Amino acid sequence: MNLFVADPEWGWWIILYFFLGGIAAGAYFQATLLQLFGNDEDRDLARAGYWLAFPLIILCGLFLTLDLGQPTRFWHMLFRSEVVDQALADGWPWTGTGWQWMVHAPLLKYWSPMSIGSWALMVFGLCSFLSFLGSLWPGGRLDRLLRHSILGKFLAVVGCGVGLFVASYTGVLLTATNQPLWSDNILIGALFLTSAASTGVVAMLGLARLRGLGSAEALRRLSKVDRWAVWLELVALVAFLAVCGSSLGAVLRTWRGEVLVAGTLVFGIVLPLLLHRFADIFRRPTTLTLAAAVLFGGLLLRYGIVTTPGEILRQGPAAAGAPAATDMTERVVNGDPSRVVGFSPEDGRLPGGGRGADPDNRPADLHPRSKAFKGD
Amino acid sequence: MPEPVGFFTDTTICIGCKACQVACHQWNDLPTRLPLPVLSGNSYDNTGSLSDVNWRHVKFIEQFSPDRHQAAWLMMSDVCKHCVDAPCLEVCPTGAILRTEFDTVYINEPACNGCRDCIAACPFGVIHVSESKHIAQKCTFCYDRLRQGLTPACAQACPTQSIRFGPLKQLKEKAQARVEQLKKQGVEQAQLYGADRNILGGLNAFYLLVDKPETYGLPSEPKLPSRRVPRSSIAAIIAGFLSLLGALFAFRERTRRGRTPTEGGTR
Repeated sequence: MNLFVADPEWGWWIILYFFLGGIAAGAYFQATLLQLFGNDEDRDLARAGYWLAFPLIILCGLFLTLDLGQPTRFWHMLFRSEVVDQALADGWPWTGTGWQWMVHAPLLKYWSPMSIGSWALMVFGLCSFLSFLGSLWPGGRLDRLLRHSILGKFLAVVGCGVGLFVASYTGVLLTATNQPLWSDNILIGALFLTSAASTGVVAMLGLARLRGLGSAEALRRLSKVDRWAVWLELVALVAFLAVCGSSLGAVLRTWRGEVLVAGTLVFGIVLPLLLHRFADIFRRPTTLTLAAAVLFGGLLLRYGIVTTPGEILRQGPAAAGAPAATDMTERVVNGDPSRVVGFSPEDGRLPGGGRGADPDNRPADLHPRSKAFKGD
Repeated sequence: MPEPVGFFTDTTICIGCKACQVACHQWNDLPTRLPLPVLSGNSYDNTGSLSDVNWRHVKFIEQFSPDRHQAAWLMMSDVCKHCVDAPCLEVCPTGAILRTEFDTVYINEPACNGCRDCIAACPFGVIHVSESKHIAQKCTFCYDRLRQGLTPACAQACPTQSIRFGPLKQLKEKAQARVEQLKKQGVEQAQLYGADRNILGGLNAFYLLVDKPETYGLPSEPKLPSRRVPRSSIAAIIAGFLSLLGALFAFRERTRRGRTPTEGGTR
């Protein structure tokens, strides 16, 4: 556990994005499966999923933008700003030179979850928008096109896959840091995905009950999906805690860590499983209680995961029970400098060994801020 | 192409004068945070840590015996390490963090949108968000001075040559010689931190330490964030596959007997 890092101070905008994005992705994933493999009776439920996914993902985009230090630069996630500036200066879109610049503007770092996640959100937004439009006018031209044409099925398959990606990449993004808890655990993505599946499905169930959508049989089967998702979440949570290993103590010594474990377990898993087992899930109050419990558990999971590292850092190394310091001389002898995994071009880069993970930028064109050397 | 350059900081001759910190502030026009820092009451250091307005920070590592009759101070001028394999540069989704022709790591301010992924990725707690500009801030290695063939302000100002600037290769030779000299003098703990490839491929700002790295607030084994992405992704794919199975099984039976002839005909 590295306790010498700074806290990125990701707060409620990010927590809400992780939570609502999970619901949107889970609901869309389930809705596309119903569209691809369900029958006429399931169509209403699929519509409920589409009604949830698009508005929620729009909210998510808004929250992510608001969280940025410079919200007007949100598009820098997708395009190299300096290349776009150059293209505009050269007359894009009216000139060939402008277009020559612009084709180099899209920026995708496959090794950076935030970069690839930004593109995935765009694709997810497009898929969920089309599905949302189709679901507004059932039986309309777009709805029929989406349900029956090859293009519609292709869109559903792509949307289903991107939905799964959006549900889990946020957890992988946290793992790809050097923060305590996040970087110590490779299962956050899996945990977020299982939680997204359960929260997405109960959101559909809740909406279906409120709007009187779907047959009893379709609802029964959807509740089966939820029960399976909650069991999966239990397995993922136990595995997550096991992988924490010795750092679990530091996590549980924080208030937020307790919320993470106890809140998720009680509201997100145990209470829903008890309701599935002992209550009549098809009574409206029970369905709504189930939905509220799972959703609250999902929110506490995101809140706990996002905020616990900051509390561990504020407590400091002593309170976190840091492991004994390593003797560098010993570590260097035992180290294996030749072990290079190389998932990213930065990994294994040698001194003076090229651009690494900043492909295509041109430092020679930079004009560093300087109080002495103007116009450099 | 210029040679890769770096800092070699010999902590054994740092006197904690903070001239480097002042020179950095002055050259880079870093704002003063009001109210002015006062004595904290728990250290002689009153600036605390690296921050958006402190791109250099002289750490005072004050070690006291339990009865506080004995004391020892270690001083270390901390700065961005300009890692050879840089975690911040690796994760930056906007391409704002880039590598200069001098092999240093630089934040291109107009491109940064303040997402703070670099802060989460930096294993040394170097990067912070500016309270006024709302973008990531850190040492630029005085990129503007380097382009004019000048020494960075901090190294120029250091009165004891604790911070040495130069081509990496030469610095490493000097550092190794200094370690051997100290060991001959009986300082057995003398060791280099970041001079070899073990730590993020090497650090362009590396250190000579006389205690364990953690004592100086330096992690022993920082890692590149991308190293965890493949395994984490595989775990998520397995979870996704299991979720998919559950959903398919729940509707499988229905699917088999639920297709109506009309539906079949339209396909």
